[in-house]
Amino acid sequence: MNESPDVNSLGMQLVAQMSDITRDRIQALALENAHNNLSKIQEGVSLKALREETAGMGDKAIIIAAGPSLKRKHVAEQIIAANYQGAIIATESSMLYCLRQGIIPDLVVTVDPHPKRIVRWFGDPNLTEADLRADDYFERQDLDTSFSEALRTNDEILELLNKYGPQIKIAVSSSSANTVVSRAHQSGMQVYWWNPMYDDPDQENSITRALQTENNLPCVNAGGNVGSAAWMMANAVWKKQRIAVTGMDFGYYAETPYRNTQYYYEALALAGEERLDELYMHIFNPYLKKWFYTDPAYMWYRECFLQMAAFTNNQTFNCTEGGILFGDNITFTDLSTFLSA
Amino acid sequence: MSDFLKGNFTTENDVVDTNSTGESLEQRFEREALKKLGGSIAFVAKKEVHWGDEDES
Repeated sequence: MNESPDVNSLGMQLVAQMSDITRDRIQALALENAHNNLSKIQEGVSLKALREETAGMGDKAIIIAAGPSLKRKHVAEQIIAANYQGAIIATESSMLYCLRQGIIPDLVVTVDPHPKRIVRWFGDPNLTEADLRADDYFERQDLDTSFSEALRTNDEILELLNKYGPQIKIAVSSSSANTVVSRAHQSGMQVYWWNPMYDDPDQENSITRALQTENNLPCVNAGGNVGSAAWMMANAVWKKQRIAVTGMDFGYYAETPYRNTQYYYEALALAGEERLDELYMHIFNPYLKKWFYTDPAYMWYRECFLQMAAFTNNQTFNCTEGGILFGDNITFTDLSTFLSA
Repeated sequence: MSDFLKGNFTTENDVVDTNSTGESLEQRFEREALKKLGGSIAFVAKKEVHWGDEDES
């Protein structure tokens, strides 16, 4: 097997289209959400204000994303044991993990406009068994398997967030669904608003620029996903110079069944059972000397992230200790090394 | 399809073929699957942040 996927494979052909596919999938919904959020944005606080807030000591930041390595590598335990004093920025999907471990991040980030799925990370006050039967996204995935005990976990995060919400700052994208916005406000979180970039704001007729004119929020390149958006917050908002990412696998452990991946049903529809190996891409991680595999969306996230890392002056350390995110401008190392440096 | 299938009764209402695009069922599945496949949000090359006022993109 080749150590990186064939550029002509079905998977890589889809990666090449992923930017367009993503735009077709989310842009209209994201902009509709932004319009619906306008009154709350005008009453709220801009991300600009966050630049004046201190986040941790020194020039270090750790991003906590919710990939499968997060629990396997005991990220929270290591951070606590090292008495780490730098900034911690978490994706909304890793918020439950952080709070369970006794970590209140300096910032939580949310960006995906999905009306039903994202609110689950905040605890969905309206979650029903019918919802769970209709969408097995969380249950199938190796993200946070405790969601397989979904209703009980939902109650737990509702309670945790109601308790700790007032201590948590959250960067809420204007693209977020009203379910997420309501939950963030309802739990007392300190909301800072921002726009994700949809196109180059310096270009004529830019959608991003038009949105900024309407709501006066800063526009941040979110890199395709919330983990990359969190990294960008450390980089662009707080100017952290040494940024470690954890739980940022952008892929799956080799032993994970295809069925437990985020786009399994779509992959089946596109490729059929017999061609799934052409859609999923198998990658050898030379640092860990292990195989991982990924799907077109995660592979696209990886390519976007490598471009973002190349464009900045900070140092990025991938301390995930798993997955497929490696390449130029990224130091692949373990978390304990980053913590002790 | 009507070349291959012949019914053994007469329908009460006219049956209209709603697949006006001429797509096969497989193509429709693929199109619907593609709609759900993308990322969470956009990516813009060579950009970080656009603050809006005192711009430092």
